[in-house]
Amino acid sequence: MNCADASTLLSAYTDGETTMLQGHSVKRHLASCPNCAGAYDDMLALRARLRTQAPRHAAPPELRARVLATLDAVRASTPPPARPRVRSERWRWLSGGAFAGCAATALAWFVGTAVIDWRANEDLALEAVTMHVHATLGNQQIQVASSDRHTVKPWLSARLDYSPPVRDFAQDGFPLVGGRIDYLDRHPVATLVYRVRNHTIDVYVRPETATRATPLALRTIRGFNVAHATGSGMDWLAVSDVNADELTAFVQKVARESGMP
Amino acid sequence: MSDHTTFEQLVLPHLDAAYNLARWLARDTHDAEDVVQDACIRALKYAGSLHGSDARAWFLTIVRNAFYDWLGRNRPVEIVHEDDEKIAARIDPSSPNPEHEALRRAEMYSLSDAIEALPLQYREVLVLRELEEMSYKEIARVADIPIGTVMSRLARARALLQRSPMLQAIGGQATGSER
Repeated sequence: MNCADASTLLSAYTDGETTMLQGHSVKRHLASCPNCAGAYDDMLALRARLRTQAPRHAAPPELRARVLATLDAVRASTPPPARPRVRSERWRWLSGGAFAGCAATALAWFVGTAVIDWRANEDLALEAVTMHVHATLGNQQIQVASSDRHTVKPWLSARLDYSPPVRDFAQDGFPLVGGRIDYLDRHPVATLVYRVRNHTIDVYVRPETATRATPLALRTIRGFNVAHATGSGMDWLAVSDVNADELTAFVQKVARESGMP
Repeated sequence: MSDHTTFEQLVLPHLDAAYNLARWLARDTHDAEDVVQDACIRALKYAGSLHGSDARAWFLTIVRNAFYDWLGRNRPVEIVHEDDEKIAARIDPSSPNPEHEALRRAEMYSLSDAIEALPLQYREVLVLRELEEMSYKEIARVADIPIGTVMSRLARARALLQRSPMLQAIGGQATGSER
C-alpha cells in the first residue's frame, strides 16, 4: 500500500470501519511510514479533542416538558389504549420499597439461572436496557450520589445480600457519579452509574455464578449498547449509548480492576 | 404496543441525542428546540412504522428531515452543497481576507466555533460520528447517503477541521471553556 491509498483510508481506519484486509494493509503501512504514522496520530488527537471538548448538548428541561405535554395532549384526544405494562407494575412495586420478595427469590437465583438459554440472555439485555431507559426518563438515575466508593459501596451493600466491588475510573475518563438499586432477572441488583462525555453508563453488578450461561459479549437494543464481562467474582452488564467498542473495553476494565485493592 | 407507548418507551429516551443533533445543525438553541418539537410530533405520528428497528437511528432520521424542512423554510441558501474550492477559500488561513485575520484572534474562538463553521454536510456526519458515536451504517441511514459517502465526508470533515484557522488559533491547549 502506498501513502495515497493509506491517507484515503486513514479516517475510516481510525473509526475501525475499514474491512479486515484494508485495516491490515493500513496497519502495515503505518509501521513503515513515519509520515502517515504522524497523520494517524493527528487523527487520534483530533478525535480525543472532539470527544472531550466538544459539548454534547442535552435537551433543555423546558423542551422535555413541552414534548411530554404534547404527548399528554395527543393522548387525551384519543381513547386510552389498553396498556399491558408488566415491567412497570413490577417497578412500582419495587420503588414502593417492598424488598420483601427478595428472600423468596434468593432460591430462584440459583434454580432459575441454571436453565438460562440464549433466549433468556436476550431478555436480560432487553430488561437491562428497559431499566436504563426507565431510570433516565424518571430522573431516578442515582439514589446515592457520590464519586467516593467508600460511600457508594456501603450504601449498596446495606441493601443487598452481597457486596459489589466499586471503583471510580475518573482517571480513565469515566468518573463514578453514584449508584442505585435495580431489579434485574428477578433479583435486586447493584447499579453503578458512570459518566463519559455527557453519556451515562449504567453498570449492573451481580455475583458470578457457575450455573449461569454466559451472555453474549455485546448486543445492541433500541439504539443502546449492552456489553457483558465477568471478573472480580462478579458478573458485569453495562448499558449505554456510547460506542460499542468503548463500552466493551470499559466493562472489561471494570470487571478486571474493580476488585483490586 | 400503542403508538404513544412506543414513542414514550423507545423514542423519548433519545431526546438528548435528538436535541444535540438539532443544536449542531441549526447552531441555535431556539431553532433546535423548534426542530426537535416538530420531530417529536412526526415521530409520534409515525411511531407505528418503527417496528423493531433501531429507535435512535430512526428518530435521528426524523430529526434530520425536520431540520432540513425547517432550513428550507427559513434559510434555503444554506442547503446548497458548497464545492471544495469555496470551502478551501473560506478555511485557508493564508487567504488575505480581513475576516480571516479576525479568525486568528485566538481567544475569541472555541472548538465549537470550528465545528459550526464546517459546511452542513460535513458537520452532520462529524456530529453523528464523534458525539453520537454512531457506526457508518447508522450514519448512512440517518443522513440518507451510501456508506462510501459517509466515509469520504468524514475524512473530508476531519481534514477541514485539522486545517481550520480557528482550531489552529486556539491551539492544542485544552481550554475547556466551551461558551
